[in-house]
Formats: sequence, C-alpha cells, structure tokens
Amino acid sequence: MKDERDGDGDRDGRHVDPGLGLLAGEGAQQRIDTTAEAFPSRTFVWRDLPSHSFPPEEADEPTYYGRPVLKEPVWVWSVPTYFYVGGTAGAAAVLAAAAQALGGEELHGLVKACRWVAAVGGAAGSALLVYDLGRPERFLHMLRVIRPTSAMSVGSWVLAGAASATMGSALLSDQHGFAGRLGHFVGYVAALLGMPLSGYTAVLLGNTAVPVWKAAQRSLPHLFIGTSVSGLASLFGLLPVDLTPREETIVERFGAVGKVVDLAAMAVVEHEANEVETVGRPLRTGISGALWTAARALTGASLALSLLPGRRRAKRAVAGLLGTAGALALRFAVFHAGKTSARDPRATFRQQRSISSCHGSSVAAHLPTGTGSES
Amino acid sequence: MAECHPVGFRWVMEAKSRGAMVIHVDPRFTRTSAVADLHVPIRAGSDIAFLGGIIRYVIEGERYFRDYVVHYTNAPALICEDFRDTEDLDGLFSGWNEKDGQYDPTSWAYEGADLGPAAGNRESFTGQPHSERGTQSGGERFDCTLQHPRCVFQILKRHFSRYTPELVEEVCGVPRHLFLKVAEALCANSGPERTSAFCYAVGWTQHSTGVQYIRTASILQLLLGNIGRPGGGIMALRGHASIQGSTDIPTLYDILPGYLPMPKDKHDTSFERYLELNGTTTGWWSEFPKYAVSLLKAWFGAAATKENGWLFDSLPRLSGDHSHMTTVTAMADGEVKGYFLMGENPTVGSMHGALQRAGMRKLDWLVVRDFAVTESADFWRDAPEIERGEVRPEEIPTEVFFFPCAAHTEKDGSFTNTQRLLQWHHKAVEPPGDCRSELHFTYHLGRRLKELYASSTDPRDQALLALTWDYPVSGEIVEPSAEAVLKEINGFKVADGEPVGQFTDLKDDGSTACGCWIYSGSYKDGANQTARRKPGHEQSWVALEWGWAWPANRRMLYNRASADPEGKPWSERKRYVWWDEEEKKWTGHDVPDFIAERPPSYRPGKDAQGIDTIAGHHPFVMQGDGLGWIFTPSGLADGPLPTHYEPQESVAENSLYGQQCNPGRMEWKRRDNPYHRPWDDPRFPYLVTTYRLTEHHTAGGMSRWLSWLSELQPEMFCEVSPELAREKGLTNGGWATLTTARAEIEARVLVTERIPPLRIRGRTIQQIGLPYHWGSKGRVRGDAVNELIGFVADPNVSIQESKALTANIEAGRRGRDRRVVTSGPLVPGLPGNDRERDLPVVGQKPMGAHGISESRTQQGEEG
Amino acid sequence: MAVGFFTDTTICIGCKACEVACKEWNQLPDDGFLFTGMSYDNTAALGASTWRHVSFIERPVPLTGQETGLGDFSWLLQSDVCKHCHRAGCLEACPTGAIIRTEFDSVYVQPDVCNGCGYCVVSCPFGVIDRREDDGRAWKCTLCYDRLKGGMEPACAKACPTDSIQFGDLYELRDRARDRVERLHRHGMTEAYLYGVDEASQPGTEGLNAFFLLVDRPEVYNLPPDPVAPAKEGRPAWTSMAFAVLGMAAAAVGAVLTVRGGGD
Repeated sequence: MKDERDGDGDRDGRHVDPGLGLLAGEGAQQRIDTTAEAFPSRTFVWRDLPSHSFPPEEADEPTYYGRPVLKEPVWVWSVPTYFYVGGTAGAAAVLAAAAQALGGEELHGLVKACRWVAAVGGAAGSALLVYDLGRPERFLHMLRVIRPTSAMSVGSWVLAGAASATMGSALLSDQHGFAGRLGHFVGYVAALLGMPLSGYTAVLLGNTAVPVWKAAQRSLPHLFIGTSVSGLASLFGLLPVDLTPREETIVERFGAVGKVVDLAAMAVVEHEANEVETVGRPLRTGISGALWTAARALTGASLALSLLPGRRRAKRAVAGLLGTAGALALRFAVFHAGKTSARDPRATFRQQRSISSCHGSSVAAHLPTGTGSES
Repeated sequence: MAECHPVGFRWVMEAKSRGAMVIHVDPRFTRTSAVADLHVPIRAGSDIAFLGGIIRYVIEGERYFRDYVVHYTNAPALICEDFRDTEDLDGLFSGWNEKDGQYDPTSWAYEGADLGPAAGNRESFTGQPHSERGTQSGGERFDCTLQHPRCVFQILKRHFSRYTPELVEEVCGVPRHLFLKVAEALCANSGPERTSAFCYAVGWTQHSTGVQYIRTASILQLLLGNIGRPGGGIMALRGHASIQGSTDIPTLYDILPGYLPMPKDKHDTSFERYLELNGTTTGWWSEFPKYAVSLLKAWFGAAATKENGWLFDSLPRLSGDHSHMTTVTAMADGEVKGYFLMGENPTVGSMHGALQRAGMRKLDWLVVRDFAVTESADFWRDAPEIERGEVRPEEIPTEVFFFPCAAHTEKDGSFTNTQRLLQWHHKAVEPPGDCRSELHFTYHLGRRLKELYASSTDPRDQALLALTWDYPVSGEIVEPSAEAVLKEINGFKVADGEPVGQFTDLKDDGSTACGCWIYSGSYKDGANQTARRKPGHEQSWVALEWGWAWPANRRMLYNRASADPEGKPWSERKRYVWWDEEEKKWTGHDVPDFIAERPPSYRPGKDAQGIDTIAGHHPFVMQGDGLGWIFTPSGLADGPLPTHYEPQESVAENSLYGQQCNPGRMEWKRRDNPYHRPWDDPRFPYLVTTYRLTEHHTAGGMSRWLSWLSELQPEMFCEVSPELAREKGLTNGGWATLTTARAEIEARVLVTERIPPLRIRGRTIQQIGLPYHWGSKGRVRGDAVNELIGFVADPNVSIQESKALTANIEAGRRGRDRRVVTSGPLVPGLPGNDRERDLPVVGQKPMGAHGISESRTQQGEEG
Repeated sequence: MAVGFFTDTTICIGCKACEVACKEWNQLPDDGFLFTGMSYDNTAALGASTWRHVSFIERPVPLTGQETGLGDFSWLLQSDVCKHCHRAGCLEACPTGAIIRTEFDSVYVQPDVCNGCGYCVVSCPFGVIDRREDDGRAWKCTLCYDRLKGGMEPACAKACPTDSIQFGDLYELRDRARDRVERLHRHGMTEAYLYGVDEASQPGTEGLNAFFLLVDRPEVYNLPPDPVAPAKEGRPAWTSMAFAVLGMAAAAVGAVLTVRGGGD
C-alpha cells in the first residue's frame, strides 16, 4: 500500500519532517507502525441519510449515527484467560489454607497440590497480564502507586502479593524446620490474598462505564468467585495428582458449592443486566450470548455429573473437563459481552436514563428529554 | 462564508451576538446556514432575478433612502433619448451590433455628456478610439424629483417592474414568503439609523453574467444608502489570500499596477495618446498622468526621461484578448510557446481540465512552481486520456520544469485582503532544500536575463536593459528584500530616494517614482506601515494602526457618503466621517475619503479642471461625476443595467425575455468544447453547482498533501437530495458517476436534505453539489470536478461560468478509463435543436471576437 | 488555578480548525482517510490520535429562531474534547499513576509512565481516552499542558474563529456560560442548557472542566446523559466481593470440616 503518496516527510502520518521541524509536541512520541492502514482502521460507512441518524421513529432515543459513545475494551484474550487462571489460583490458595489449618497432616497431599496450583496460577496470571499491556516492559509501573479507587491498582498489589506468597508457600512448605513453618505461615498469607485475587477481577469489570458490566456490579463478584471455585475443583479432575478419597471428596464438595453459586449468580447477573433490555442483550445474542449459554450448560452438566454417585476416575475427568470449559467460557462470555455492550450506544444511554429516572436525581430533571422542538 | 472564510466569519458571529440578523442565500444549506437566522435556498444561476426582485420591492414600496439616492447616485440623471431597455427589446439593450457581436454603448450615455467608468471594461477593440474615461462632465441633466421618464430612477423602475415576488418564485425557486422576509429585513435595516452589508464570493462572480450580479447588489445598496457608511458595503470574499493584491498589482493581462490600463497596440501609439485616451478631465482620474509617469520612473529609473516619453514605447502592447481561457484555447491550437504556472493548478482548479492539458501538450516549455508535483506538472503522464491510450507521453514535446516553492511562512511579504488591507508577514523559517520564494525566482530570472542580454543593441531588448533591478539581497539563498520592493511600490522622490507620504505627493515631471500609486503611503516615513500590529483594544474601533489600507490608509472607501450633503452625520448611530465647521476640514473615525479641506458647499465652476471638478457633496470621487452609478452609461460590455439571463446550460427557459443567455457572453464553439442544449437537455437533466469546503484549499495544492487536512475530507463526493437519490438509486456513502458533454467523473455520494430540490415553473429541479478539491495526486485523491465544465465566460472580466451548469448523474462507479472530450468520443447529439440561446437579431456571434486567431479557433483540433 | 473550556455549540461553524490546530500543535498523526457518509464528519470520534472532534448532526427538527426553506431541518455542530472531569474515571482507574491532576486542574496522561493497561479506556464514561495499538499507550487531550506552562491558551481555543471554544478560569467560564444560557432563553431558545457545568448538573462526574452549551439532548451529540465516574459508585462491588470471598472461605472450611477421614 505504501506508494508515492508518502513523501519523505510524511512517513509517520504527521507530515512533519524531523529534519526541518522539532518533534516536541505532546503527541509527537506516539509510535506509528504503519500509515498504509491508519489507526484505528475504520471501515464504518453510514449508509442511510445523515439525518436518519435521528429518524423520526427513534426521535425519542437519538444516537450519533449509531456510533458507540464508549470506547471498546482494548484487552485481548489473555485478560479473560487471566480471570480464569487468577481466580483458580485464589481459590486454590484458600482451599490450601483451610486444609492446612483444619485437616492437618492427613490432607498434606491436597495442601501441596493446591499450593502448587496457586503458585503456578499466580505466575501464569502475572505473565498473562503483562502480555496484555501496551508497554509490557513497564509492568513494574503497576506498583508505582496504590490507588484504592482503582480495582486494577488494588488487584495488581493483590496479585503481586498473592503470586509471591503462593510461590513462597509452595516452595517452602515441603522444607523442614523453620523454612517449613515459614512456608505454612506464608500459605495463610497466600489464602488471605487469594480471596480477593479470585474476586477483584469482578470488581474490576463492575466498576467501569461498560453498561453490562456496570449493571451486574453486585452479582459479578459472586459469579466470579463461584466460577473460581468451580474452576479449581474441575481442574483437579484433570490434573494427574493422586488425592486420597477424603481429599477428593473435599474438592468435589467445594466444587459443587462453587458450581451452584456459579449457576445461581448467572441467573442474578442476567436479571440485573436485563433490567434495561439493551444492556442484557449481549448475554443473549452473538458470540458472548453463545458463550454464556455454553458456560451455563457446561457448568450445569459438570455439576450434575459430579453429583452422580461413584468414584470412577473417568467420571471425575469428564466432569473436570466440562467444568473447566464452563469456567473458561464464562470468563470469555463476560469479556465479550462487555465489548459488545460498549459498542452499543443505546445500552449506555438507556441505562443512564433509567438510573436517573428511578433515582429521581436532579440530573434527570435537568436533562431535556423530548425532541429539540418540543422541549 | 463560514465554509470558505471561517476566520472572517467571526465578525459575522460577533455582529449576530450584538443583534444583527444573518441571512444566507445559497442553493445549499451550508455551515453558514447552520448559524444564520434565515436560510433561503435558491436555484444556482438566478441571483439577478432574486436581487432584482428586491430592487423592485424597494422602489415600489418607496423604501429607498431618498436623500442619499437623490444626492449621491446618478438616479436623477437623464439618459439619451436613443436608449432602449431590455423591456423594449425582449432582453437586449439598444446598441447591439450584430456584425461585431457586441454592444455599442453610445445610446446608454447621459444626455449631453460623455463619461467613462472609474473601473470596468476599458477594452475598445470594437469602438473607435476615444477616451475610455470620458472627457467632460457637467453637461449632464438631472431631475431631482426622479419623475422624468428618462431619468435613471424611472428607467430602473421600468427595468425591474416585472421582477415580482411571483416571478422570483418562478425563476429562483424561492418561496414568496422567504423572499419577502429577506426584502423586508433589508429595508428595515437600512436608512439613516441602520445599515446592511452584503458578502459574496465566487458563487456570484463565476457566471456568464457574473459582473452584473455584483452590479445588482451595488444598485440595491445604493438605493438603500448602504455604501460608504459603517456597517454597509459589499464585501467580495476572495478565493485565497491576496487575490485583492493580485489585481491591485495585477497578474491580469489588461491592467498595469494601480488599475492603469494596459496600452493597446491600435490606439495607444504614443505616451501622449495613452494619457489622452485613458485620462479624464474630471474626477480623481484626472491625476492619471502623475501615476503613469511615476510608474514608468519606478520601472526604468534614470533611463526614463520626458524626452523619450518615459520609455512608454518600450512597453508591450495588447493586441487582443489574452484572458485565461482564450490563451488556453490558443495554446491548444499551437499558438503559445511557454507557460508559467506559479502556485496554480489549472488542470484541477480551472475549467475543462482536458482542454487545459490539451493546451499544455502543445507547449514548448512549461514552468511549474508549487509545493508538490501537481496534476498540472504531471499532465504528460497522469491523465485520463493517457490512461485510455489516446495520448502517448513519449509523443508530447513539452519540456516541464518543476521548481519547489517556499510557503508564506518561509518568506517575507504582504497580503492584501478584501478590505484592501495590507498585512505584512515575516519569514519564520528558511525555506527547505531548493524551495524558493516567487520573489527570489522572479528577481533572479530577471537578473540572469539582463546579464544574458547585456551586450545586445537590439532596440527591443532596451526595455529589459533599462529596467531597474537593484533590490538588495541577503542570506545564504540570496533572497531579495521584500521590503525594498514595498518601498518601490510605495514610491519615492527620485532625487533623494525619500519615500513619499501618499499618492498626492506624486508628480508627472519625473521627480517621483512609484510602483503602484494606490499603495503610496504603505512605506510612509520609511517605515513598513503594513507591519503595524497594534492590538484593537489599544486604539479606536476603526483600528487605523493595524496594517495599512489603500488608499491612504482609508478603511472605508467613499466614506464621505456617511455624512449628509451638508457634511453632518446621517445619524448619531452611524456617525463615521463628517465636516468640521470650526476646523474647516473633514474629520472622523477614519481617514476621510475626500479632499480634506473641500467644504460640502463647494460647487465647481464652469471652467474647473481635474480634481477641482469634484463637488463638495459628491462622495464617489473616482467617478467622473462623483456619483454612485445605479446606471452605468459606459464600462460594461453587457448592458447598463443587470438583467436576468439564464446560464449557458440551464434547466429552465428564460421566464422574462426571449433572449435566453447573456448576449455578450464569451463562447468557444469548438469540437473540444461542446455545449449542452440551452435548457431541458434530456441527456443532462440536472443542475450542478460547484464549491469549496472549509477543509481544503482550492485545487488542493495546499491541502491534499497534508494528512491533517486530508483526513477531514478524504474523498471526492457529491451532495444530492434524498428525492434525487431515490430517483436514481443513489445510496449515502455509495458511488455515483457524473457526466457532461466534456467528461465524466465519479464521486462518493452524500445524500442530504441540505441540498433541496426546488420548484421552478411548475417542475421540480434537482441540484447537485460538487466540491472541487480533488485530483489524481496527493495524499487523498478523486476525480477533478472541473473536467466537467466547459469554457464560457462573462464578457467584462472573462470569468468562467462554473457555478451553474447541467449534468447527468447515475449510480455506480465509472469505468476504469474515463472519457474526456478532447481526445475521446463526443456524447451522441440530439436530433435537431429547437432551442436557441439568442434572439435572431443577436445572430451568430463571430468567432474569434475574443480569440487570438480566428482561423485556428474555428478548426478545433484533433478532428 | 482551575481552568477549562466552555464550548458554546450555538456558535460553532464546524470549521474543524480546532481539530487541525490540536493535531498540528501536538504533532499527532492522522487517523486514516475514510469517507464515513456521516455528514461532514470523517474523523467520527475522539480517539488516541484525535483529541478534538467536531460532530455534525443533521436533524429533521428546526432550530429555534432559525427559518429555512428546507422546512424541518437544522444542522448542529459541536466540537467535542476530553471533559477533564472533576471526578475523572480514567484518573481514578489508572493503576500506574500515569494519569494525574495537574496544577491547572486538568487531567493529564504522562506518556513516560503509562504502560498501556487499558483500564482507563473502559473507565471513561465519555469514551474519550483510547489506547493507540501500535504505540501501546493511552492518549487523550492534555489541555495543552505545555502551552499552559508557557502562559498560552490551548491550541484549539486559540484557533477557534468564532469563540465557540472559550478557555479560561473555570469559575469565570461558568458565569459566562450561565449568562449566555439566560440570554438565549430570553431570545426564545429555551432548549439551551449547560451540560456538565457543575456538580449539581452532573453529580456522576461532579462537574466538568470542559463543559458544553447544548440545544438538544446529550445523546444527539453522542454524550452520555448521566455519566458517572465508575469509582464513585464502586463500593457495592467491593462489598459484594467481600461477602463472596468470605463465602468462598466458608465453603472451603466447610468442605474440609464436613468431610471426615476415610471418605464421607
């Protein structure tokens, strides 16, 4: 595509020849890889009359050529994957601590397995998050400040702490003497941090401007926690670790509770999102809708299977597979629902209009509502 | 105005915020309309009918400013008994000369006087050699009751009597109530207490009757008393920076700096004869010899003496019409050797791009000075006819020289704006690489030519050798001093080089030199007056210390008219310039445009000569009679009063007269310049108008290469109404192909209510809007609109008709190779033609009347 | 000193001088060359490389005080920009501290700190800030921080020919804006109102440092009717999470305690 249009001075899409002018503007540092396909590469063409961005039949609910009012989340696949990995790690740390504290030596195998799941999860999660960064080499900037208003900031500290603690406890707890005791202690720390680790990602989504996430602000944490527990239990069905029957039962029971919470929370999330019809739409339609439905079916099937009597290894493996797939599908469903939701200006507008009108806030009174001519 | 002059439009918004009413009359609803109080859609090409309707409204309703009209305009003057109006001759004025295809203006004269115009058409290729500015006044007869049937006022009244609101609706498609609203608003906001202003741009000028558009507005403003008064006037908004400057110090072929006429070979055989034919005995132009001598002294310095006629004889003479389109057709006929394009891109910006290229193909050499290699510079390898294989680059003999040029930020110089305000700009950075200013190029070209001919004894080279060419240069790139040029333009005393203070200091004895008399004073006291930038809040509201306005730093011309005949302001509210009885001189907020100590009561005696003939109550000092001309007894080629004629290619028959088009218009009847039917051409049923967008600069040379501007309007598009879109299956954001007899182009489609269909004579007329910025080069590209437009021109100033023509539109893209008429096939003709543009008496306009060579223009070219 | 923009859309002529002045001063790259079919708006939205954006709204509704031969039609023009909210969603979301509030009360992204986590992008209720993918960092209007430091007004306000964009002391601007609305109301344009002028009119952001005079609903201009800085309403999510994680801990404890040795 690069042709003679690009003279010497315009390679960077600015038409400032650095040989002649000083590139010192605030935006001059912006890196541009290609001008052949400019960023963001837009393909949108409005096919109707420009004034039909405002058609009479929709005059009460105008949009600007149907263009999104919000920016779509820029995150890639690694972020929903991290939701799964981090959540699972957090649940593992919690279960490890509970087993350590209350089960003693008898549950040593479970504790150890959980600690390693948490440790690997913490490390992999960090890697996944760094991968998503626009400037991965600056991942340490996450720890420059602590900002309580930012779930991302809180979460980064939690992840940093949890990843270290889980790794520490996994490495140390097999040692003898002081190191071992320290490992156990760090295991409790890991559990304390693992709790928010499985849940903060839901807060991170709920506390954004994206309508569907925002609508499910209260139920999303329950959903994510449920999925984390379910994901952990399902993972054990797949991992080649030898657990005692008691340990297996503990995991299964823990998992069953998670799956039940998961399924219940899904219903609540749907309910909350559907309070404004357009806001809940991504959970019903499109890729996100399909993933959402699949997640429910997979988790439900996994739950049903795990509740069946019997201890066959294969049964556990299948249930684990279904549960893992369900947990992953759910994270991706929520993630894509957010992307779709951000693209839909009506979701934003209707949600805000309905909130202002049911709260009867001063804003609602302040804003004009009719068409321009009537107000 | 908001579209094309957004910076100037700030003052319109300022006025609006202070309560002014903003009316916008335009075929389209533009960014100006978006903030106007009233938007009136009008059929492109029908403005004279619209303005004529308002003139009738003003006269019939007795809404004119009577004292102003009686004293300051020629409304009371009586016209020759021989004069016949278009009402009498079905669209022709008296004096049509069938043989020459032109008017003889003798019958338009004042009764008993011979008077030339202050400006306007001074060509006399048809008439006998006589003074083009008139020789006497005082012989005129007046009827101050305005009742005499032959007085200008009554002629005007009769002339526009049929321009009723009903007719305006029929011709312009303007609903009656909107028209009446405009007319009433203008009347209500004019008079002693209030004034109204008109702003126009090329939407008015680029018609085969363009000059008369402006004349109609002038008549209206004179009737309403809105000239020479604060808040009044007619603002010509220019196409780009310093277009005003390029007529003051002209790039035009027929005038010299300061609106001195170019000498003609047939008549101006000696300097004395030139003065005799171009000077006047009355009014300000009686000073003409001083300006002419000073100009020659500036050019030739010591070599110009009284004895050798100031070297007048070494000036080239005009042999005929050398206007743009005439020259281009002559070029296509192989009559032109070389062509300089300085910052102009005619294959995109001028009419009929294919014919422009056909002309360039016949040149020996072409010099292009521009920021980038434009379509005009690359005409030999990047053109539709080359893509079609009709023309092969290797067979084009033209040698093309491309010179990269400096931008305005890279050189010193001045801009002259529409208010005649000169504003200096300083160089901010050195031009990069080989880029150089026009001044640099021209100076060094002249210097080298002088060196080349230094030893020549050929008489024809002596003018070049005598030329003063001694500007100081500086810097690494040897840039001549722009200030030194300004100093020469300002004028100086030959003896000591002292700058003159103003044009009244100029002499006709060779003791002063001046490059342009109207710019005298711009370098007053040896200081660059145009560089003054005193902020508005530190001086009076007229801001006389910001830049410098010609003439004599006057911000408003003819401002004597802001006071009544006794010299008192018409009203306190509109006080501007007045006679100070105690000081015995004119004073006011501005520099009075009058002889400073001439009292309002002054009346010239019978034997008065020169500027002594200007009476104390005659504000229009440049006119021989000191009056505003409602009726132009001379100076225009197409009639003393504006008349509604249809464009060359129209969608409607002329509702008013049997004469369809302006009889005086310039036509080029050639195989490579075919015209559509005068009206109702079934092949080309839609009305097209062209225009510019805020985001681009004319032919795009300054904007299409710049990404920040290009992204704002990235593609060529056409604007059509939803109704037309439905009719032709056009979709918003889709493609359309537009066709005329000249060429075809494609464009993206923007369907919008902003370009409404109009009802004309019971039919619905669809208009298509075409911004014309794109070409085949640059960062963003598209077909060039002006390919569609043929050569037709106004007879007074040879301006093209590009704002109203007909075309066809179809959905979809054009074929890969696009037809152009110069080398491609003609559009199939129509059987018979029962529609005539002209009355039988107008007959065949003789070919070549405007051309260089009669024989060659008739041949056409390439079969 | 708190400074900001008052953008009066009733006198905007859509010349886009603000867009170009912004790009020129800040040396921003172009945003692609695409014909959108959206009236005269071909840049479509604010983004990482477009910090001023002019909207063109063709409306089948007449404008009060305007008469046109087109019937029910008007063309609204509005220059949009980062609002520099009093409670800024992006700033509160930024985990790196790259987004700061400056001494001019503007919200500024430090490009040398930003690591492109993208959380500000979803936290801006106006869809202003965006990550440029090939650069990797988030960008938005800086309120011409460098010009303010040099005592100059921002480039867009400087370039605006009709003073539709007014820059100055926030409190002065608010007074001026309220006067303007009152004047418009007196002239019959009762639909004119200020968007985000203070906390009362927009509690979710506690008022905008760049506020607007509009004549139709915010949605028409692609502005959210009741935007909220997410963190302002963030507590319920945290509370909910607290309960959920405690529940998880309880479930873990429960699972361990209810399952006794040797199986059930």
